[in-house]
Amino acid sequence: MGATVISQVTPTQSVGKGEGLTIIVPVKAAVPNITAVRLDPVTHNLVREGVPLMLNPYDRNALEFALRLKDRYGGRVITLSMAPPSGKDFLESTIGMGADEAYLITDRVFAGADTLATSYTVAMTIRKLFPEFNLVVMGEETTDSTTAHMPAQVASWLGLPYLYYVVDGEVNLKEGTVRLTRYLEDEGVFEEYEFQMPVIVSVYKDSNPPREISLSRKIQARLGNLVKSVTNNELKLDQYCVGLRGSPTIVAKIEDAKPIPRKKQVFKGDPKEAAKWLIDNLTKEGVIKS
Amino acid sequence: MSTSRICPEWPQVDKNEYRGIWVYVEHQNGVIKDGSLQLIGKARELASKVNVGVTAVMVGHKLGDLVKEPIYYGADRVVYVDDEALAVYMPHVYASVIVNLVNKYKPEVVLFAATKRGRELAPYVANTLRTGITADCTDLDIDVKTRDLDQVRPTYGGNILAHIRTPTRRPQLASVRPNVFPTPPRDTSRKGEVIREVINNLPKPNGSLISIKPVTKGDSDLPPVEKADIVVAAGRGVGGPEGVKLLVELAKAIGGTVGGTKKVTDAGWLPVDRQIGQTGKTVRPTLYIGVGVSGAIQHIFGMKESKIIVAINSDPNAPIFEYADYGIVGDYRQVIQALLELLNQRRAGKGS
Ligand SMILES: Cc1cc2nc3c(=O)[nH]c(=O)nc-3n(C[C@H](O)[C@H](O)[C@H](O)COP(=O)(O)OP(=O)(O)OC[C@H]3O[C@@H](n4cnc5c(N)ncnc54)[C@H](O)[C@@H]3O)c2cc1C
Ligand SMILES: Nc1ncnc2c1ncn2[C@@H]1O[C@H](COP(=O)(O)O)[C@@H](O)[C@H]1O
Repeated sequence: MGATVISQVTPTQSVGKGEGLTIIVPVKAAVPNITAVRLDPVTHNLVREGVPLMLNPYDRNALEFALRLKDRYGGRVITLSMAPPSGKDFLESTIGMGADEAYLITDRVFAGADTLATSYTVAMTIRKLFPEFNLVVMGEETTDSTTAHMPAQVASWLGLPYLYYVVDGEVNLKEGTVRLTRYLEDEGVFEEYEFQMPVIVSVYKDSNPPREISLSRKIQARLGNLVKSVTNNELKLDQYCVGLRGSPTIVAKIEDAKPIPRKKQVFKGDPKEAAKWLIDNLTKEGVIKS
Repeated sequence: MSTSRICPEWPQVDKNEYRGIWVYVEHQNGVIKDGSLQLIGKARELASKVNVGVTAVMVGHKLGDLVKEPIYYGADRVVYVDDEALAVYMPHVYASVIVNLVNKYKPEVVLFAATKRGRELAPYVANTLRTGITADCTDLDIDVKTRDLDQVRPTYGGNILAHIRTPTRRPQLASVRPNVFPTPPRDTSRKGEVIREVINNLPKPNGSLISIKPVTKGDSDLPPVEKADIVVAAGRGVGGPEGVKLLVELAKAIGGTVGGTKKVTDAGWLPVDRQIGQTGKTVRPTLYIGVGVSGAIQHIFGMKESKIIVAINSDPNAPIFEYADYGIVGDYRQVIQALLELLNQRRAGKGS
């Protein structure tokens, strides 16, 4: 059988030396009102210029999960995002919530990326800036693209194990292990796993309700210029692996969703008559038994 | 073979070497997931357009006769790996098994049911193969000339459909939510090939499953929303848990189940696994009754394929009436009470 392209994992050795955990939280700038957007007529991509960006709401749950681990076991939480230059503002709000550092990965060559190219850029930034990380914690999905691709893709680029829908975690600093509880909504079960760190997780969107953003911390971040920018001058990623050129998927066409034609019969009036009218019609349709 | 410059992390692929439609068939406790069976049906359609076969892929331990099931639903062939090391599901290990099989057989398309596990698995497989993937497609087609998979997915809130393609890479990966396509009939007279593969270089699990605990559910006597033929959906307009109780009564009287909008599950009036919509479940029952549901696009997204749609809402301008076959303007309590009385009378009438 053909060789796999999966690299083997090097277990974490650095935890337990008094520094606590290094947790990376990649976050996305989501477009707030997903029904009022403009699409580029040529690439069909979302036009992000001039659109106010906000932190993807589920990434706040992910950040909360990371901050709770930091509160319990010590260490640092670092957020990073591949976003246009205007992304600085929402990264400041991650510091406001309690992150120690934030990085904006921004460069023209990164524009037009699909999830393969975005995950490559994010994974390589993590490998370059924080090779000693213990956990990468991500949101379950984003509200403006809802793919839930990125966490698995980052794990694949880094050749690491991963787990989705995590709700809780417990770290053993001495052993370098983490116990993760996750919720599989469609099966109605909680599963508990134990991993040798490093590991990549995505956090179940209805767990870990996020703490408030401290305005004074956010202002500190702004005044102290705490959000650092990283461009491809530092990362030196091959331009064919990032942005539009590093993206195998294309949006070939867009169209308005065509609704299924409906009868649109409406009854106004006495509730008893309404009920009779409905039951008669549903019986005629054959969807309830007479 | 394409010689244009590509990312050095990507293997060169010759599109012409890749043939056949694959479905990853997910199973749990000896039962195949409906979403996977539904994809076998769709895969048949795609395969016949380009004259290739449908292959089902299965991964696990002690699979036994389960490996024959995909044939009965329309697969021509099953390729499976049965290994003690796969007794426990580990995302990166299972994904690596699929990657190995794809590298050996070179299918042009691999489809995944977008169950929670499917959503977890598929992007790792796609990424490790350095190819594209499209999540939550609502339709699939194949271009007979280019053999590109036309992956249709709603985007930016659901009112725009995007057609996504992976023109230069193979295989092409896509996931589809359960219940977007119908389940094909089971036909035990169908014949097909069953091939067992052995994989020697599984990645280290680097972890283990410690425990599985079912969530205790208060309303477990009602079927899950994605499995019911009749769904009564509660919206914010039902006012609270008491209102939901009335809907449960209606659901029971007509042999259905209850679901709700995000506002209702967020408020805790129903468990989240009953949320219908873009970020919840997709349902396509024969009858959907929305009660106190305004008809936000994110909700509509998860129920618009229902055969008959009924809306009960006190606001005559509620958007849901635009999507409904039968609408009743009025206070839901009065209407539901009247419905329950009528249904009771009918039952009593029949019994006498
Ligand atoms: C990213 C994102 C994802 C989302 N995903 C989903 C999703 O998956 N599913 C989902 O459902 N929503 C989702 N939403 C939320 C969605 O936008 C709406 O907010 C939600 O669907 C509205 O729920 P509702 O109809 O219950 O409430 P409302 O919009 O508040 O409507 C309540 C309705 O009840 C009616 N009403 C009030 N009193 C009565 C009465 N006595 N009798 C009859 N009718 C009455 C009112 O006229 C009104 O039309 C999402 C939103 C976002 C931003
Ligand atoms: N551009 C980005 N930069 C950093 N992290 C991202 C980016 N896009 C997505 N993510 C992360 O990946 C998660 C899942 O996103 P998605 O796969 O797009 O649904 C998000 O919740 C973020 O944690």
